[in-house]
Amino acid sequence: MINVKNLHKSFGDQEILKGIDNHVDEKEVVVVIGPSGSGKSTFLRCLNGLETVTSGEIEIAGMNLTDPKTDIHKLRQHVGMVFQQFNLFKHLTILENITIGPRKVKKMQVAESNEIARALLAKVGLSGKEESYPDELSGGQQQRVAIARALAMGPNVMLFDEPTSALDPEMVGEVLQVMKDLAIEGMTMVVVTHEMGFAREVGHRVIFMDDGYIVEEGSPKDIFSNPQMDRTKNFLAKIL
Amino acid sequence: MNVIWQNLPVILDGLRLTIQYSIIAIVLMVVIGLIAALMRLSRFSVLRWIASAYVEIFRSTPLLVQLFFIVLGLPALLPVNEWFGQLAYPIMAAALTLSLNEGAYVTEIIRAGILGVDRGQKEAAASIGMTALQTMRYIVLPQAFKRMIPPLVNQAAQTIKDTSLLAPVGIIELVYKGEVVIAATFASFTIWGLIAVLYFIIIFSVSKCASYLERRLQVDKR
Repeated sequence: MINVKNLHKSFGDQEILKGIDNHVDEKEVVVVIGPSGSGKSTFLRCLNGLETVTSGEIEIAGMNLTDPKTDIHKLRQHVGMVFQQFNLFKHLTILENITIGPRKVKKMQVAESNEIARALLAKVGLSGKEESYPDELSGGQQQRVAIARALAMGPNVMLFDEPTSALDPEMVGEVLQVMKDLAIEGMTMVVVTHEMGFAREVGHRVIFMDDGYIVEEGSPKDIFSNPQMDRTKNFLAKIL
Repeated sequence: MNVIWQNLPVILDGLRLTIQYSIIAIVLMVVIGLIAALMRLSRFSVLRWIASAYVEIFRSTPLLVQLFFIVLGLPALLPVNEWFGQLAYPIMAAALTLSLNEGAYVTEIIRAGILGVDRGQKEAAASIGMTALQTMRYIVLPQAFKRMIPPLVNQAAQTIKDTSLLAPVGIIELVYKGEVVIAATFASFTIWGLIAVLYFIIIFSVSKCASYLERRLQVDKR
C-alpha cells in the first residue's frame, strides 16, 4: 500500500529526514513514535504530499507521489489525513464539513453525500450534530468529525498526525476508540502518536524514529518489551 | 430655508449621481481588489510584481492628481475622446480612476484577510483533494470575507466621500451641483451645510447596515 525509498527531506539547509525506507502492507496499522523533532510528523506529511520531498520515492495507494506527472489532488482523495489541531472548516456545519469534499472534489450529488455523511457521523458516534458548527463541539468530538471528513472521500489509507495530542485527557479515549474500530475494519493506517497504549493494543508494527532516521522497528511487543537500540531504550524509559 | 426648497431638485439630482458613482466604484474596487490580492499572493512573480506596482502607484499619489492626470491629462496625449466619445470618456475615466485608487486599498484589505486564515484550514482542504482554486473559493475566501467586513465598510465610506473629488475634473455629482447652485444663489453656508448633511446620511446608513450585517454574522461567531 505504501512504499518509501530513500526519502530525504530538508527545510533550507536543515535535513529533517535523512533517508527513510519503509513498506506498509494493506490493512496494516503502523504506529510511528519518537521524540519531538525526530521527523515523524514530516515523514507522515510527505506521504500525502503536504510536504514536497527533497529526494527519494513514495508510492502510495497505487500511485507514484514523487512522479511529477501524478495528479496530487487525485492521489490525496485516496489518502485521508487527520491533524493534531483537527482543522475542521470553521465556517461550515458538521454535515457540510464532511460533505464538501465529496461534493466539490468528487462532484457527488448533495443527497448522496448527505447520506454518506450521516452514516459516518453515526459511525463516530455523533449523530444529531449535523447542524452544529465546529466551535460548538468539544475537542474529542471535533477530532471524530475530522476522521469522518477524511473517511467520506473513501480513502485507501489513513494518516493520523498526533490525533490526540491537542485533546484534554478525558477525550483521548473516544478518539482512540474510533481509530481502533477503523483498524479492526481493515483500514490501512499510519499513526504518529504518543499513545503507547494504542500502539501496543492496535498497532501491528511500531517504528521508532530519531534524528531523521528509522532507528528501530518491529512488533509492539518487541519494541516495548525488548528494544535493541540504546536510543529506543532511552526514549521508552522516559515516556513509559 | 427657501433656498433649500427651491434648489432641492438640483441637489437631489447631484445626490443621485453621487450614489451612482459610489455604487460603481464600490463594486469595481472590490472586484479589482480581489483580483489584485490574488495576484499578490500568486506563485508567479510577474503577477505579484504587477499587483504590487499597481498598489504602490495608486497609494503613493493623491487621488485628485490621478483624476486630473487621467481625465484631463491623458486626452492631451491620446485621442481617447474620439475613441470613447467626448462625453463618455471623462465619466468612464473618472469612475475607473476612482475605482482603481480605492481598489489599491481594498487589495491590501483582502490580502490581509486571506493571510489571516489559519494555515491548517488550507492543509485540511488540500488533504481531501481540493485544488488551490477550490480551497480559495470554498474554504479561505468565505472565512476571510467575514473578517474583512469592518475594513471594507470603512473603505466604502471613504469611497463615497472621495466621489466628491470628481467635481474638480468636471464630473457632475453632488458637490458639482452644489457649486452650481451657490454660484446662482450665493447661499454657500446653507448649501454646503445641506451637502454635508446629505453625505452624512448616506454614509451613516451604510455603516449602520454594515454593523447590522456584522452582528448577524457574529451571532454564529464564524
